[in-house]
Amino acid sequence: MKKIILSALMAAGLAPAAFAAAPEDSKIFTPFFDMTLSEAAFLPSEGNIFSGGNINTQVGLLSKITQADHLFALYNFSYAGQGFAPQDSKQFTDRSMSHGFNLEYRRFLTDRFRVRPGVAFNTGYSRTGANEAWKNGLYNMNSAGAQLAADYTFDEEKNGYVTAQYLFRSIEFPNYTDLLAEFQSAGSQGNIDGGLNDQVMGQFSLRPNWNKFFGGVTYTVQNYRNQKVVENTGVYGDTKQRDTDTMLDFGFHHSLWIFEMYPMVSYTMHTSNQNFMKYKFLGDTAPEFAADYYNFKEMNLSVPVDLNITSKWAIGGAFNIQRRAYDKRMARNEDNDFTTSKQVNTMTTLTGSIRKRINEVAMVRLFGSFIVASSNTKFERYMPYNYTGNSFGIAYSLSY
Amino acid sequence: MKRIILILLALFLVKSPVFAAIDWESKGMQIAGEIMANPAGFFYDFQQDLEATTPLPPGKRFGIQTSLFPTTIPMTYTNVSLKARLHGEGRIAPGVPQLDLVGGYWDMLAAKMATKDSETVDSAKFGGYYVGGILSASVSPRVRTFWGYKRSVLKAKLDFKAGEEPEFLGTTVSSFDTGFKDDFFIAGIETPKGVNKLWSIQLNYGLRTQTFSSKVSWYGKYFELGLNIFPEGVLVFHPVWNFHLNF
Repeated sequence: MKKIILSALMAAGLAPAAFAAAPEDSKIFTPFFDMTLSEAAFLPSEGNIFSGGNINTQVGLLSKITQADHLFALYNFSYAGQGFAPQDSKQFTDRSMSHGFNLEYRRFLTDRFRVRPGVAFNTGYSRTGANEAWKNGLYNMNSAGAQLAADYTFDEEKNGYVTAQYLFRSIEFPNYTDLLAEFQSAGSQGNIDGGLNDQVMGQFSLRPNWNKFFGGVTYTVQNYRNQKVVENTGVYGDTKQRDTDTMLDFGFHHSLWIFEMYPMVSYTMHTSNQNFMKYKFLGDTAPEFAADYYNFKEMNLSVPVDLNITSKWAIGGAFNIQRRAYDKRMARNEDNDFTTSKQVNTMTTLTGSIRKRINEVAMVRLFGSFIVASSNTKFERYMPYNYTGNSFGIAYSLSY
Repeated sequence: MKRIILILLALFLVKSPVFAAIDWESKGMQIAGEIMANPAGFFYDFQQDLEATTPLPPGKRFGIQTSLFPTTIPMTYTNVSLKARLHGEGRIAPGVPQLDLVGGYWDMLAAKMATKDSETVDSAKFGGYYVGGILSASVSPRVRTFWGYKRSVLKAKLDFKAGEEPEFLGTTVSSFDTGFKDDFFIAGIETPKGVNKLWSIQLNYGLRTQTFSSKVSWYGKYFELGLNIFPEGVLVFHPVWNFHLNF
């Protein structure tokens, strides 16, 4: 779940499409609008049919104060509904929703170089299958922060530029608490145990783009304000938790004859100084200690291809694989005992789709996906690790 | 093209062992439980189907609308909505957006009939209204964006006669008295699909209850076809058919 929240926060920065928002020469104000909507039915091999969707809406306004000074305001609404999810991330029934506000000042120092300082505020809600009110979500969060980005254009003809960005976020989880500690201590209060997930996040990225090829390196640090690292004695020590992510990614969006391809590959190295105590049951007097439990390497490969049969219609296919290998975490067997092999999770998705372009700004897509999730962890009382599933849905997209 | 679509659909929808796993009975019980847990939310989703939250076409001053499906049929929501243009785009000054006032009212016919004829229902009142304003501005000759606000109110009250209370999921239900009201933020975009035919997509977000929906609509001179999506609702998809006249 934390990983999902981090992803949401990263996405809360200006999306690439929003970044590309450019003023029309004759206008002082240029609006930006992007809405994508999808809804699908999910049929897992274990469990009953369910439905879920995703909504992403961005509404922005770019103001050209002078030729060199621009102001860009963006509101972003995002909803992620029920759906299949990679192992160790979230339950199928978990949902999240967020509101993001970004205000960015864009100053052209030369024709090829501009700086973009900005501020960002985000409110996130989470909800489980218990359908609690949105305001009561355990992982609800508020964040505030700022960023400074600089763009240098090195090839105007082929839209070649490089962006360096540093962003900072202070993140609070007002409802988050240590449920186990509250359960074990009758006198414990949520507001005393709260704040454990509060953190300060810093992120630096360097991203070159050229001729519709893009890539980059992103380094993220999460410093927890209160959460301590559990030691091998089973009690929390004095060291505060600190997580880092280093991500390398590369992709392109090109057309060759009727083939339109936009593959992307990324590789992430996650480290955390947090350890783990495995209690097999409540009151277990001999819990097992697992050091560096959360460190992993993850690879994502996504290869979508659309065949543009006519100017309106396209048939699409996509292959997606995500593989996460933990550095030290051992897989568990059916009895919740650690085995001798390190845990590896793989999720593969094959998607077929039909896309219709309604006009130059709108399109609709019907899709069907087949998913295979596998892991050498066989203990699945709380989270599914090995399953297959089908999903069928419809997606709309309108962007201006 | 249609042949290709049919072949692909046949491939994707091929009967697999996964389909055999669907437990429709438990799904039905789950849906019924969700309705009972939040009846106002369930009935409000249908109110959103009848709410006219797209701007008047350029050049039109008034509009009247009634929703036919799934509101009048089968939910018996008799309803009417009105739109009035306060000023057209660019009339006061260049760049000033069009401003429309919108509003509507509905009353559930079945609730009235149940009160009159039923041996179990003592009294029933289902109804609601909404009022709001929509700002719309052209961002190109073929694209109009719109922003708006609406206040929606719903009242749902049902009393069963003593001794005639039904049992639901093991619990005797004697009455329920519930309602819904919230202030909504609306953002949408509209683009032409053909001659006198428009296509729009919009988001409605309730500021207090976090209720939200996405409406996709196709509309012409007389009718509007829509697909309203309530990702957190009991019935996620609502196909919609509305009749409207604009003057």
